[in-house]
Amino acid sequence: MRNPPRTQFFAVFQNEVLLNSKRIAPYMLMLFSVFNAVLWSAGLGATYYGQEVITKYGRLWASNSDYYITHNFGGFALGIFGLPIFAALIMAEPVRRDFRLEIDSLIFSKPVSRAHYLLGKFFGSFFVLVCCQASFAATLILLQVFPTSQIVVLPFRLLPYFKHFIMIVVITYFLFAAVYFTVGTLTRSPKIVYGLAIAYYPLIFFYGFFLLSDLPPRWRVILSPLMLREVQIQTWGRSPEWVDRLVVSYTPIMIANRALVILAAAICLTIVYLRFRITEPPAKPENFSWLNLSAGSEVLHFDPPILQPTPGHTASDIRSVRVEEAEAKETAVPSVSNSNTGLRANLAKLAAALGVEFRLLRAERSLVVITPLAVFLPTLELAFYRVVPEGSYSATYATGTAKTLVFFLIGMTVFYVVESMQRDREVRIEPVLWAKPTPNSVLLLSKFLATFLLMLSVIAIAGLTAIAIQLLRGHTPVELYPYLVTYSVLVIPSIVFMAGVSILLNVVLREKYLAYVVIVGVGAGLFYLYSQGYNHWLYNPMLYQLWNYPELTGAGSNQSIILIHRVYCLAASVACLALAHILFQRKSTRGVRMDGHLTDRGWSILLTLVSLTIAITTGWIISSMH
Amino acid sequence: MRLRGKTMLRIRELTKTYGSSIQALKGISLDVPPGVFGLLGPNGAGKTTLMKILATLLEPDAGTVEINGIDLVSRKDKVRRLLGYLPQDFGLYPTLTAEQMLNYFAKLKGVTDKRERRALIDALFERVNLSSARKQRLGGFSGGMRQRLGIAQALIGQPQLIIVDEPTAGLDPEERIRFHNLLAETAGEDAVVILSTHIVADVSSLCSQMAVIRKGAILASTTPQQAIEQLKDSVWEATVPREQVGALKSRYQVISSQMLGGLARLRVISKGVRPSEEFTPATAVLEDYYFDLVNQRERAS
Repeated sequence: MRNPPRTQFFAVFQNEVLLNSKRIAPYMLMLFSVFNAVLWSAGLGATYYGQEVITKYGRLWASNSDYYITHNFGGFALGIFGLPIFAALIMAEPVRRDFRLEIDSLIFSKPVSRAHYLLGKFFGSFFVLVCCQASFAATLILLQVFPTSQIVVLPFRLLPYFKHFIMIVVITYFLFAAVYFTVGTLTRSPKIVYGLAIAYYPLIFFYGFFLLSDLPPRWRVILSPLMLREVQIQTWGRSPEWVDRLVVSYTPIMIANRALVILAAAICLTIVYLRFRITEPPAKPENFSWLNLSAGSEVLHFDPPILQPTPGHTASDIRSVRVEEAEAKETAVPSVSNSNTGLRANLAKLAAALGVEFRLLRAERSLVVITPLAVFLPTLELAFYRVVPEGSYSATYATGTAKTLVFFLIGMTVFYVVESMQRDREVRIEPVLWAKPTPNSVLLLSKFLATFLLMLSVIAIAGLTAIAIQLLRGHTPVELYPYLVTYSVLVIPSIVFMAGVSILLNVVLREKYLAYVVIVGVGAGLFYLYSQGYNHWLYNPMLYQLWNYPELTGAGSNQSIILIHRVYCLAASVACLALAHILFQRKSTRGVRMDGHLTDRGWSILLTLVSLTIAITTGWIISSMH
Repeated sequence: MRLRGKTMLRIRELTKTYGSSIQALKGISLDVPPGVFGLLGPNGAGKTTLMKILATLLEPDAGTVEINGIDLVSRKDKVRRLLGYLPQDFGLYPTLTAEQMLNYFAKLKGVTDKRERRALIDALFERVNLSSARKQRLGGFSGGMRQRLGIAQALIGQPQLIIVDEPTAGLDPEERIRFHNLLAETAGEDAVVILSTHIVADVSSLCSQMAVIRKGAILASTTPQQAIEQLKDSVWEATVPREQVGALKSRYQVISSQMLGGLARLRVISKGVRPSEEFTPATAVLEDYYFDLVNQRERAS
């Protein structure tokens, strides 16, 4: 038997770990896990539920009790704050990376077996994923040593952390990782995997709500990818001492569930093994052409017919005929008039760039995911619950969809802005585009407008879905005004703001994943602050928990502050866009004035100053009114 | 370094350093007249850095560049109107068709008149022999087809400065010749084509003027004819057993050695004097000039 470290599997595994150690995503996942562990452990007392427990019993449960350990791991595995998305970032790439970097032919020309290669790739990445997740458990273990005044700690424990981490987190993510790896490897499209990761939440909700809920408890436990219990542990009404003494154990059915999850993961890996091909996926057949295309085994060739000498002609005559034919194709390139200055010329370029951005968006597979979600989310919000009219049914429906949609739309805005901003670099068209006489404003605005218009169409789909549900449920009459007011005052400025901020961050950070991480990190931090009650108007661009429909229409006291806040938000967005223009990597002119006119840079500085002045003024008004 | 004739592109003391230590360009000065200008140098010589600066994509640390009197460093926006650029490594949107892509580039170049744009695109497709593939998606294009589309986009809008960086890499011999012809026809009285390459034969067959760049400095700027003329009656060739190569290298100024069927074919420089009996006179080629120049600098340094 061969020494394991000398096997091909181990070489691939080791290389995968090495490659991942040079990526940003694993480190961000570690940081995120540590941050969450501290937050969940130390912040429990600050939550509403924690406060209630303290008020009633004088103290909380011990932070290292079995109950609390499983509670934390359960929340972590469920994917609160986006763990499935990080898992997708790590598991989508392993095989596709080799093809993207074009080292696949170098690897597959070596005598490496398919099983060793695929298993090495999978387990290498999964090992990295588990190590990152383990930082959550390690932080919780360490926090036993450094308790705060509000935290109660039992004597130091280690084994329960290992046991529950493996049972709840590792085995669950073994399946998720296998699914992501399978999809990523077979489609070689990380976007599909990321779409799947984003769709995780609605899918897991649908699965639990519509499929599992009607099953007997035993089957509910067996068929859940996240480990459920036959009987949920109820802590409400129990003393902290009772909770601390509770020993969480696993029933045979729960163990069967874990075995089933491992089996499902193994099936995924078997499918990858059977379906994996080292060749490129077959392209659409090319049309025959008269071109003698450059050699490439996958390309079809069609040689021109060989002319045979006719009586009275020699072979050299034929050659000269072919040369003449070739020369006849050398058409002169006509002179054209170029228009590169003035507003009209720049608007024409903007329209062209916008057209191309839309064509590229149309080809995005992610639209297949977000369009159904735009229908699904309002349906979920409105179709199944009792609707209490807030002024009118239309107002309630519009408010409901706006509150549900705003975070989804913001997420989508960030995604499409980041993807479109980085696309030119990723497809390596940037040097060609940047050498064209196109102003930077056209390059940036085309991406901004394309994303904005896409989001407007998503809002329209969601609005139409809400109206359709309203009609189906008989909640008539349908009024358009509440929809228009709610979406235009609340949702649209929020999207504009997020698009502006995302463009600025992309320009400043210049790295896709870094931009994602910063945006997600800041967003999660802000959301946490809002949930703790710190949702001041000045750093709450979405007006989360700060509005209701009557106030929008003037019935409440906050209408003017809401409208001023929207101006504040839009001014901040313009400032972000203008700053992005100033800091854009591609330079066109030096200085702010040239030939007696303001340069593009000069205009941007002016716009930044004006928009910042408006933002500061409106911010000051909001603060004084608040 | 000054070449004869009208100067369209004037480069003075151009310097570029990456980070704190990698000096890619060390005060380059060049005067470039209309026609095809070859920039010859090994990999890592600084060719691509110079090309990127000329294509307005990179900011030099110091120095000036003027194209037809326009300062390239401070007026990139103006220079881009005169520019056609084919980078060494570039991509295209795979989901667009070739026609959509070229149409987009033409619009960005300011060709706003629809009829003119259509005629231009038709002519360019004919010119690069892609007419039948114009409706195909770019994702299905071969390397050669993509390169030809790259050339087509560089020719949009009568550019006066065409920069082509290592353009024939990946092209088959037939396409390479077709590409050379295209470049030669494009460069006229009013346009400079700067061809950056490490293939000496490309410069030899195509360029009216050339410069040799190495380690960020210009070693020479001349015409291919003058370069070859300098070595007239100075190049000698011999086919010798491999064991003798070391000794001959130490005695003569060897410019190149090539293994052929177990024997070594040496080319040496010796001004008017036959080095030894085994050597016969050889016709000087541009490659001899290039290797001689590089070897001289190696020895000097």
